[in-house]
Amino acid sequence: MTPWMPSALWIERSEAESDLARRLRARLPAVPLRMVDDTAEAEPAGDFAEGKRRLVVKRHRGTFLQHCPAGTPGLVCCNYLVVSFAANCPFDCSYCFLQDNLANNTAIKAFSNVGDGLSEIDAVLRAHPDRTFRIGTGELADSLALDHLTDLSRELVPFFAERPNGLLELKTKSTGVDNLLDLDPKERTVVSWSLNATRIMATEEDGTASLEERLHAARRVQAAGYRVGFHFDPIIAHEGWEDGYRQVIERVFRRLDTRRVAWVSLGSLRMTPGLKAAIKARPNPSLVLTGELVPGPDGKERAWRGLRVKIYRRMLDWLQQIDARMPVYVCMEPPGVWSKVFGQTPSDREVAEQLVAQRPLACRVSTAR
Amino acid sequence: MPDGGLDAALRTFTQERRYSAVAVARWLAMTPEDGEALLELARELRLGENQLRDLWDWAEDIASRDQLSVARVLALEPVRLARRARHVGRNDKLKLVKTALRRVRYPQLAAAEERLAALVRELDLPRTVRVRFPEFLEGDEVRVEIVADSAAALAAAADRVRAAAATDTCKAIFRLLEEAP
Repeated sequence: MTPWMPSALWIERSEAESDLARRLRARLPAVPLRMVDDTAEAEPAGDFAEGKRRLVVKRHRGTFLQHCPAGTPGLVCCNYLVVSFAANCPFDCSYCFLQDNLANNTAIKAFSNVGDGLSEIDAVLRAHPDRTFRIGTGELADSLALDHLTDLSRELVPFFAERPNGLLELKTKSTGVDNLLDLDPKERTVVSWSLNATRIMATEEDGTASLEERLHAARRVQAAGYRVGFHFDPIIAHEGWEDGYRQVIERVFRRLDTRRVAWVSLGSLRMTPGLKAAIKARPNPSLVLTGELVPGPDGKERAWRGLRVKIYRRMLDWLQQIDARMPVYVCMEPPGVWSKVFGQTPSDREVAEQLVAQRPLACRVSTAR
Repeated sequence: MPDGGLDAALRTFTQERRYSAVAVARWLAMTPEDGEALLELARELRLGENQLRDLWDWAEDIASRDQLSVARVLALEPVRLARRARHVGRNDKLKLVKTALRRVRYPQLAAAEERLAALVRELDLPRTVRVRFPEFLEGDEVRVEIVADSAAALAAAADRVRAAAATDTCKAIFRLLEEAP
């Protein structure tokens, strides 16, 4: 895939001499540059697609580290933390929740005060030396899509390598792993890819790396000493889902060292009213809207529960046929779904601990059902 | 409807029924064909905004999924038959239309619900026992309600429930609730 390049670079004037701003100016000499006092000027009103072509360097004001939104009451939560060094993503997945969350804030942001974010992480890790935290940068942005421009991973991987109770996850749909290959993660960084059924990847994930490209990148980072992770999220119940997801599982997991897979998550599409409206407003019809989505207790629409359980069970079976010890978990699901899929409902803390330790949550499932 | 006629008719109807500004704007943004078809349905069933909401959302979802216009969706055979039902009151007709449209919107879910209803009938429980499933089957808990006016009636109903719980039919109900067929 071709690495993303912005059509314009906007730099907050007060951050003009930051390392990030200097680096980007040097790497993007031909890209039109604007220095502004207020980066709100960079936001193209109501044009999400145009926003995704603009790169804004600014200071992040507020907290970098947040709890993952899966910590909603009534859902089992894996105690994941998200840290946002960037916001928005150059890819154009039809189902992406950022279309709703960042509807009025569409330009891609790279935050210049990375050191402040690292200090926050350091403070949390030091305050709780007895706990291990999984911390990901892929919530509001693709973790590696801008890395060829920002080199952010070259700060993050060594930072986490020195911290025994922090586990970094870089989550991506890109192939931007070059920066990682000569670093020693010391088991403290997991590089993960979002995956979907073949048809969904082909029609709903515009601009992202193909399955083969993602797999190739995953093999490269595994060879460089990283553990890898995979997220089937959002799983979309569409016609042909069984073949579509099974093919991807077979193609990916037969060609990797599954002992070096840190985790695999399964998460059904969650649809807010705002996201639904955004998807309907897209120029091309989306398969995402074809599913039987029904409202859940948290106000989000999902495939109805019996169907979700069926899909999770099938996918878990296919994964376990390849490696019975594959650490699989489901994302943003109530205890009832966990117990139907895994034969047990672990506590939030147990899920977190098992994922950190790379112990399979699913190992008791086959007999429990 | 003549040019401008639809907008005026729509504004009059929504004003009379106190629709929100958001709903009116959404309606006005529809193609004239779709807006008119929806207005026809809303008038026919004298629908307030809350009553129309599900029908409207489902019709749009089906339209997106099946690449049809909303007008075409509202004219699909099952919906048309429900709208033409004779000798039924307005509330029952609304229920029929809603059921028909819901079945088109959620074919697998509706099939599962219908199968569950059939299995409950097979349990042959007395009328004093009601079996209820979670809305949209989002959950696997079944509520069994017994209405009794004496200890003896309660004991008799409970015996029937106990007997029903031991049947394969009852197991089939829970299997179906657990995983889609």
